[in-house]
Amino acid sequence: MSVKPTLLAISSPGGHWIQLNRLSVGLEERYRVVYAMPAGLFTSTSLGEREPTRKVYSVVDVSADDKWRLIPCALQVLYILLKERPKAILSTGAAPGAVAIWLGSFLGIRTIWVDSIANVKQISRAGKLAQKRADVFLTQWEQLSDGQAIQYKGAVL
Amino acid sequence: MIFVAVGTQFPFDRLIRAVDEWAAQHALTGMAQIAGGEYLPQTLQWERFMTTAVFNQHVQNADLIISHAGMGNIITALEHRKPIIVMNRQHALGEHRNDHQLDGLAWMGQLPGVYTATTQDELYALLARQHTLQAAPLDNDSRRQTLVDFIDQAIRASTTLSNRT
Repeated sequence: MSVKPTLLAISSPGGHWIQLNRLSVGLEERYRVVYAMPAGLFTSTSLGEREPTRKVYSVVDVSADDKWRLIPCALQVLYILLKERPKAILSTGAAPGAVAIWLGSFLGIRTIWVDSIANVKQISRAGKLAQKRADVFLTQWEQLSDGQAIQYKGAVL
Repeated sequence: MIFVAVGTQFPFDRLIRAVDEWAAQHALTGMAQIAGGEYLPQTLQWERFMTTAVFNQHVQNADLIISHAGMGNIITALEHRKPIIVMNRQHALGEHRNDHQLDGLAWMGQLPGVYTATTQDELYALLARQHTLQAAPLDNDSRRQTLVDFIDQAIRASTTLSNRT
């Protein structure tokens, strides 16, 4: 039996997390998926029925209003990356995912960003940060794709 | 048969009342999930909260879903191949902490199978033509599968795919 490569799936709670899950369920057969998301909103309803079998790390949430939290968040993400040694990082946003993309890219980990389906008019702010370092950058709306740096390859809905 | 659901966080009496009154006028049956709402439906059956299994059963039994503008309900409706009308909570009416549901309505309305209403008049206009509302087509599944497969390939790909500058 071959060992599945590890994938780190990281997002904020709520819509980002729902989208991340809709993608990761399709990848769990092919990868050992390790999750990370901000705690606090960490309830049984937000995690769903599958959680008991899943490995979920909690990280500090970051927003534009409290940028200082980038430091503890980055340290936690760095710890997860060093411990789990994922082959790739997948994020649907927002800020903690962008932190993971930056750190992962410096560690030579493959990084994939899927901008939230809620961003129909322009790429999200966190997405623009992630875009500087992401290996693959995807939008879920065809009209936002430029066919090169920003690609459209489907959507969760 | 309609199923109206407002999520678990806040009540949304305005939506429940509007649908209930419409159901009374049009002799329509249905189910309402009303959370902590004060308005108790007269025509629709109702529950405050329900388990995921029961919730999914009501979605399955309904011809049309009516919901607050919440992503979870939209996903559930689309996955059960049911058309869904979403109405945003309004901050000014004390229905939510802010108006992000109004912002969300703009993109939700662009999803196949999702119809949006910001007022009771718009909701009633949609209900009046409810039999013309279409569920999301099957190729929505292929949109997701294409995306998942692309991500899988992107993980396996060598650095030649890189667009890093």
